[in-house]
Amino acid sequence: MSRLRGQTESVLASVCFGLAPIFAKKGLLSGLNPLYGATIANATALLFMILFFLAARQHKGWASVTKQGLMFAVLAGLCNSVALVSFYWAMAIGKVAIVVPITCIYPLFTMVVAYLAMKESEVIDAFTVIGTLLIVIGVVLTI
Amino acid sequence: MDASIFLSILCAMAWGTQSVLLKKAMRDIPLSTAILITLVTNFLALVFMIGIGGGQGLSAFVDIPMLICFYFMIAGFFNYLLGRALYYSSFRFISVTQSTAISSTYPIISVAFAVTVLGEKLSVLQFVGIGLTLCGVYLLLMKGKK
Repeated sequence: MSRLRGQTESVLASVCFGLAPIFAKKGLLSGLNPLYGATIANATALLFMILFFLAARQHKGWASVTKQGLMFAVLAGLCNSVALVSFYWAMAIGKVAIVVPITCIYPLFTMVVAYLAMKESEVIDAFTVIGTLLIVIGVVLTI
Repeated sequence: MDASIFLSILCAMAWGTQSVLLKKAMRDIPLSTAILITLVTNFLALVFMIGIGGGQGLSAFVDIPMLICFYFMIAGFFNYLLGRALYYSSFRFISVTQSTAISSTYPIISVAFAVTVLGEKLSVLQFVGIGLTLCGVYLLLMKGKK
């Protein structure tokens, strides 16, 4: 059951990630610098998250936060920020037709890093490798 | 190597790595806290980029029309909040590799929208791409079923 829940959540995440560029593109048609668009989008999510945190009294959970957990979360946030900045920088100086397909290979990096860093919990079998490769090739061909 | 290609690879590496780091973080902290920390870090990085000259300065926000803001607010809600929450939440139940690969199929959703709503036509390569992507998703969904 939990496996099905995880799979459903990742498919729904894909739907959400797919819907967002449709609205972002409408905004970018005005000629606005994408950095501003990304900041507005991020600020909106941050505001909602803070409201959720306060309404659901999630801030009480801060007491249980460990240093290690906090460090990994900040590192993840920094990695995300590096990805965002390098993506916009690459788009500004390069061709979209080259930049976008290259950035879409990120699941391959996840697979390698997960294999190296989380051997105890990540099972990388033939299904995972072939499935991930097919998705990456398929997405690169589609965009 | 062309600078844009280097930056694109750096972007893919960073995106690919962040999910593994997040999964490690979620062993010790709740999902909502993890999302909040990444959103704060992203927000600060974006404001810093604009502040050091990645745009026309922070005052340019005032001149952005409300409708354009609204489009990006919807995009932010779907991508950074709902999408990210579902994506990170799935780490608790399936492997990060499986979750990342499945959620990376989002261009197919955009293409499906372009075909059904905007009436755009697909090329043969795009049909092949969608077929391969769906095969990959099927393989990952079947993983560990038996």
